[in-house]
Amino acid sequence: MRANLVCLWAFIAARNSIAVNSIDDELVIPNETESAGSADQTCSILKSSNSPENNTYTVGKKEREEPEIVEELEIGLDGDTKINAVLFSNETIIKYPFGEELTLKPLPRNFMLASFAFELQSNNFTVGKTESAYDTYRHYTVFPKALSPILEYTQTRQLHLRFTHGRWDAESWGQLPHNGTKSGGNGVELWAVVEAGSQHEAFENWIMLANSLSGLFCSSINFIDVEKTTYPVSSFQPAEERTIPIFNSSNQAYLLRAALANEPICTENLTPFLKLLPTRGRSGISSLLDGHKVFDSNWHSLSIDVETSCNGDTCQYQMEENIEMVFNVPNSLARADNPIPKPVRDSDLQCDESKPHDSWECFPLPQSKHTNFQLSKLFGKKILGSNLISENPSKVCAQVSDSWTVYVGIDDDLFATDDNCFTIKNDQLHDIHLKSDNTAHLKECEDVPLFVSRSLTGYGQDSGGLRTVFSNPSNESVQAIYFESLPWYMRLYLSSLKIESDAGLEIGDVIKSTFYLPAIDRERPTHLEFNITIPAETTLALTYQFDKALLKYAEYPPDANHGFEIESALVTVLTPIHYEMRTTTLLLSLSTPDFSMPYNVIILTSTVMGLAFGTLFNLMVKKLVTIEEADKKASAKVGLKAKLIAKLKKLKGKGDKVNQLKKDQ
Amino acid sequence: MNLRELQVVVACVASRFGTSTVFPFLQQQLDKSVEFSTPVTSYRSLQEGVFLLRNEFPLYSGGVVHHAPLLVALISVFNSETMVSLLYACADALVAYQLIAMAKYFRSSSLPSWVPGALYVINPLVLLSSVSKSSIVFSNLAISTALLTALQGNWVCSAVSIAVASYLSLYPLTLIVPLLALLRNHKLKTLSTAAVTLAALLLSSYKQNDESWNYLFSTYGVIMTFSKIIPNLGLWWYFFVELFEMFIPFFKAVFNLFAVSCIIPFSLRFHKQPFYAFLLCLFWITLTKPYPTLGDGGFLLSFIPFFKPLYGYFRYSVISTLLFIHVSVLSPIFYHLWVDLGSGNSNFFYAISLVYALGLATVLVDLVWAMLRIEYDKGKPNLHLKLTPI
Repeated sequence: MRANLVCLWAFIAARNSIAVNSIDDELVIPNETESAGSADQTCSILKSSNSPENNTYTVGKKEREEPEIVEELEIGLDGDTKINAVLFSNETIIKYPFGEELTLKPLPRNFMLASFAFELQSNNFTVGKTESAYDTYRHYTVFPKALSPILEYTQTRQLHLRFTHGRWDAESWGQLPHNGTKSGGNGVELWAVVEAGSQHEAFENWIMLANSLSGLFCSSINFIDVEKTTYPVSSFQPAEERTIPIFNSSNQAYLLRAALANEPICTENLTPFLKLLPTRGRSGISSLLDGHKVFDSNWHSLSIDVETSCNGDTCQYQMEENIEMVFNVPNSLARADNPIPKPVRDSDLQCDESKPHDSWECFPLPQSKHTNFQLSKLFGKKILGSNLISENPSKVCAQVSDSWTVYVGIDDDLFATDDNCFTIKNDQLHDIHLKSDNTAHLKECEDVPLFVSRSLTGYGQDSGGLRTVFSNPSNESVQAIYFESLPWYMRLYLSSLKIESDAGLEIGDVIKSTFYLPAIDRERPTHLEFNITIPAETTLALTYQFDKALLKYAEYPPDANHGFEIESALVTVLTPIHYEMRTTTLLLSLSTPDFSMPYNVIILTSTVMGLAFGTLFNLMVKKLVTIEEADKKASAKVGLKAKLIAKLKKLKGKGDKVNQLKKDQ
Repeated sequence: MNLRELQVVVACVASRFGTSTVFPFLQQQLDKSVEFSTPVTSYRSLQEGVFLLRNEFPLYSGGVVHHAPLLVALISVFNSETMVSLLYACADALVAYQLIAMAKYFRSSSLPSWVPGALYVINPLVLLSSVSKSSIVFSNLAISTALLTALQGNWVCSAVSIAVASYLSLYPLTLIVPLLALLRNHKLKTLSTAAVTLAALLLSSYKQNDESWNYLFSTYGVIMTFSKIIPNLGLWWYFFVELFEMFIPFFKAVFNLFAVSCIIPFSLRFHKQPFYAFLLCLFWITLTKPYPTLGDGGFLLSFIPFFKPLYGYFRYSVISTLLFIHVSVLSPIFYHLWVDLGSGNSNFFYAISLVYALGLATVLVDLVWAMLRIEYDKGKPNLHLKLTPI
């Protein structure tokens, strides 16, 4: 029986490899290495030594080795194909708790949201048996092996990581996908529920977690430190239906959160995301994900949520991974046709003919309402079949109105379904065709309950203000929590909090409760949480003032004059719906010292101090005498000097004599 | 108090209070200027303290409030801004009155006694400092009270005042040394009274601050360790911005030692003129303290009329006058160029702070020199005599 199972395993492996192999042969990706090189050049690399290149290299090597093994296996198994085929079609083969779905949603003005969702679960594990214990073993199956030990030794019960970049145009695109719960502020955002005996221990675990994730995701998450970490009170709360399992009853769960606003999101961050998936981006919908295309979008967000759920002593990790992006479809298609942008030839110009036009002058027509494109044009690849290991086949859905027709293309055949959802079952190449004669006709975008925008006020580099505008367009009042974490070098004056409102609202009408933890220099950020109520159809602004501190010479980043990124604020809407949104990040410019001056400053300041002290000391310890007296004494001193000179001369004379004696000898 | 003196005092209240009420924005502007406000004296930080106190937030858990707890509690009693303005105006007028009272102890001087007070009233540095509601006004008041009551021989009052001054801004604690020379018959009593008062103030602050000692670091620790690096006219800020990290603790100790280094020498050398010794010490503190403002400088310069007999001996009076004019004209301009326009850099303002230090140092050196000269001449100025120290 056991042998049989092993055989089955080998076959599945072989089959998968063959599939991958054959697809690799078919798929012609021109200049892949060249473009990868250019991508690396565009990324600013400020990373830890755990570089992704190493990882990629080893994996690639393995895969290169695999086909050889496959061939051997094929030879061995050649006679038994029939039996194996029967086995394979049988539903008894192991299917893993993994699901993936791609949702396509056209947005106004020819934008399109592509949202990849992956869900997976770990095998059960028992509380109290650590991974490193010698008599325990663990199967990982689909759950990433890299993540589980990190979660275990940092005692992390919930982990939420967000990599987001770009601006979500809420006014035109409506609500964020997943009610905003899966996207972060610009840069990297991390929050976690950590089990620990004390807050100090929780913080140590947290730093360990950040450092480990930093290596895993090829990003500077290790820059998270005490200056950036907050302990949110009413924001970032775990969903109520989930209880946080505590493994040791004397411990407590701590919620910690930090964000790095100036962290660039790049291809090197996507690769580790794909590696966490059991399909490794080699089959299923994840095969579409290519760094060049994902990061060429107007807005993109990568997120990971890991939660621990327990039933008695047996526990399980549940992980959700979301990769979402918004494309400008015409731009992306044009880029696919013509990777190097060139001016349009005058014969291809679509000019407004009611106005004067020639090859020099052209008023372009509005964008065409007709569209017809394939997903493979947007992503540069076709879907490489289903994921093959999951209990659920891969799924692709398009949320479109009647004006759109969506087909799935397998080889040259096109198929359509009623609900525009397709399941991808076999390992053939799939492509999605989208066609519309009125791209403006879309499925209703749901309006956001609240618009929030935040900006810096003031012009000097020594002080400034923050102004946050809340606008509630609906006819219901909105209750929300405003969370803000500001670096310590913004010295906030909460007493300067003012409200600007046409409706004549007072602070007490809007801010129902405040949590305020002021910053401590180099030890803690300002942590501010307002429980706010915005009345229906009202716009109001909250302003407060702050001073900017001067940092020490070595605390400035290399590009100090660029400014400091201030992380985005989070608004959690509680009623009428649960929704999360973030403001944009801000760029704060601090006054800088002259970085070339250290020695000069030390010398000049010391000179002034020495001058003052020296002169005073001189005056106080010396005796005042008239100049005549002083001269007399000075001449007396000259006598002494003369004596000395005479003595020296004497010595010299002696020396000469000695020399002469020597010469004589 | 004669009519002229009364006029001076009333003019003082009227000018301060009037400017605050007529130009309410002037206060905010001045409070933001580095010449008149520092993190440990600024009014907006005091207001933040009052706000936190009223809303029952812990006062010193953050890094914004550096005022003494009792001062915050005192200001929080006043509800209206006008009352606070009046309080500052009255405190300043009291200083003016005390200067007049002090002048009466120097009858040998040919100046009428109201002149120092009048000069204090019209001194723009003091006026602007008072309008900016810098808490240095209260320290100055406490120091001048200590000096006046010491002249009067009222050792209790003097000891209490100097304790209050040191409670408000730490470094006046060292002024107790020259004060003991003034009250030479009650040294022990003065010292113990000051110590008891200071202890009482600290203890009541401890009670006021929800039985927590954390205010000690936020008020005095911040001054001694210079942990808020903000541009000011002192010698410390740019030095510690630019200094390499590993040397910072050592140089903080050196700078603190420097700030107290001349106190005992002055008090010993001029123990026969304790009033002058006291002022020289005050000068020295203003020169070396980590967070000086022009308010300190203005207060000091108000004592210059008392040195009238020495005027003839001053060697650098032109230079020091020019240096002060140079500072007061260029400092706001250079700061603006650096911070607002970005067309200058920090060295511009640093240069100005060096010039200010040089200005104070030349005045101090001149005063010491003049004092030594008049000592040599035994009180009868003989300006033609050329002397030199050897």
